[in-house]
Amino acid sequence: MPLAEILKTMHDAVVGFDDEGARKAAEQLIAEGFDPFTGIMEGLAGGMNTVGELFKKQEYFVPEVLLCAEAMNAGLAVLSPHLKAGEARSEGTVIIGTVQGDIHDIGKNLVKMMLEVGGFKVHDLGVDVPHEKFVEEAVRVKADIVGVSSMMTTTMMGMKKLIPMLKEANPKVAVMIGGAPVTPAIVKMFKADGFAASAADVVVEAKRLVAAAN
Amino acid sequence: MKPKERVMRRLKRQEVDMTPVGCTTAYGALCLMKASGYERPLADHDPVAMAGLALAGYTIGGFDWIKAMGWDITAVSEALGCELGKAAIDVQHFIATHPFESRSLDELECPPDLLSRGRFPVYKEQFRILKEKVGDEVAIFGMSEGPFTCAANLMGTSKMMRSTIKDPAGVEKALAVTTEALIQVINFAFSQGADYYCMADPTSGSTLLSPRSWDRFVKPVMTKIVERSNGPIVLHICGETDKIIPSMCDTGLAGISIEEKADLKLALEVAHAKGVAVFGNVAAATTLFMGSPEECYKESQAALECDVDFLAPGCGLAPASPLENILAMRKARDDKFKAPEFKGATL
Repeated sequence: MPLAEILKTMHDAVVGFDDEGARKAAEQLIAEGFDPFTGIMEGLAGGMNTVGELFKKQEYFVPEVLLCAEAMNAGLAVLSPHLKAGEARSEGTVIIGTVQGDIHDIGKNLVKMMLEVGGFKVHDLGVDVPHEKFVEEAVRVKADIVGVSSMMTTTMMGMKKLIPMLKEANPKVAVMIGGAPVTPAIVKMFKADGFAASAADVVVEAKRLVAAAN
Repeated sequence: MKPKERVMRRLKRQEVDMTPVGCTTAYGALCLMKASGYERPLADHDPVAMAGLALAGYTIGGFDWIKAMGWDITAVSEALGCELGKAAIDVQHFIATHPFESRSLDELECPPDLLSRGRFPVYKEQFRILKEKVGDEVAIFGMSEGPFTCAANLMGTSKMMRSTIKDPAGVEKALAVTTEALIQVINFAFSQGADYYCMADPTSGSTLLSPRSWDRFVKPVMTKIVERSNGPIVLHICGETDKIIPSMCDTGLAGISIEEKADLKLALEVAHAKGVAVFGNVAAATTLFMGSPEECYKESQAALECDVDFLAPGCGLAPASPLENILAMRKARDDKFKAPEFKGATL
């Protein structure tokens, strides 16, 4: 089967949340000797980009997106071991987590998926992350971007304290914030660097922040 | 017109002297705690403090009606098995564990002693205190999480979401149990003196769930709850709701409560055509929390201009919301209807 056809099958399997289909297409790509990196970026990630657009247009909702991500991961599990060392280029390194006191994570997990699919290396700190942990990890992994999520006004106020702490540890780090109560006005008030209203827009914004820093 | 009469008539879409103003979500605001002397987290578990803070909505906050049953939407989930996170004066109780994320749903059932569990005995006592204090003057509403949010708390939101596609029977099983629990809790509230009952079901909103799934899973159970309840039901869903408002109204409930992201004009058109009242929609997470009193006044005015049935915040009040902001809603209502300035109310 020609590469283009396999990539389309992989893309469609992700969009159709077909784990088995994604896995089989990935296996076929390897069997035919094609480049797994192309499979990941154009097949799987391509599929997730389409999913992101469907989510933005409100044709897909959270259940669909979560299941599409599962299909993508099924394909990724087949392709990743075949990647040549150093092949996986990185757009940048991201730390992501839900702010201290907050345990909501669906939005954060969707953002993480989109960033990974967009070529970023993402370290997920989970939920209820103490400010000090964000700072420590950002320094340890030399994060280009720190993504902080909150679903509640109370926990959102924690971001106001966290952002200066991150900047003090590394003035060049870009901080992206998000979650239901976060608005562009809050981003300005808290002196964060970036914001995306939807998980679908996060990769463009993250790339902008990395480019601005370099 | 007494505030209670105003609220209950408006809930039946009958003529009133002026638009009721108040809050149909949690109002555990620090300013009300300080002014009344009843603070959280004591007010989450102590009936006297709970009732005292509830009454502060009327005596200090300018609300036409008051809330029973505490300051978060976790009580039913707790009684069904979820553990709660630690609360603080400005941190509501939150769901810390999802027992049915790993356990089989076959083990999920509504316990026969549901109303002896968790905070229900406390609620019983605080209802008694509230009825004694306000009698027939001020309407009281009971509140908790709704059936879908409760089921998602039990299963974990991510598993619940995926199950709506991969395991619909599992979702229906979980909803059957939370529905049964809610009918008991709601009728308990009515038997203790609640005048209406509000369910908050944010996890079922269109920010997360498709309108098609709302119709498939939530509408039938909501309809059943409304049918079996011994009083008027209001449904609060924050976030995106425009596409599900017709379905919400079709469940037979008395009122819907929406936030600033919803199109209030459209909601009123749809709801009124189906005989349903609308509560809302002054922005709680932004304007009431961080805006100026003038901005709160303007948003209240805009909602009143649309002829909202109940002027209220679009979601739970953020704890740090300033009193002047909360009172701006009352002022906007009083100015529009030329009512005397609010200087506090006595019981």
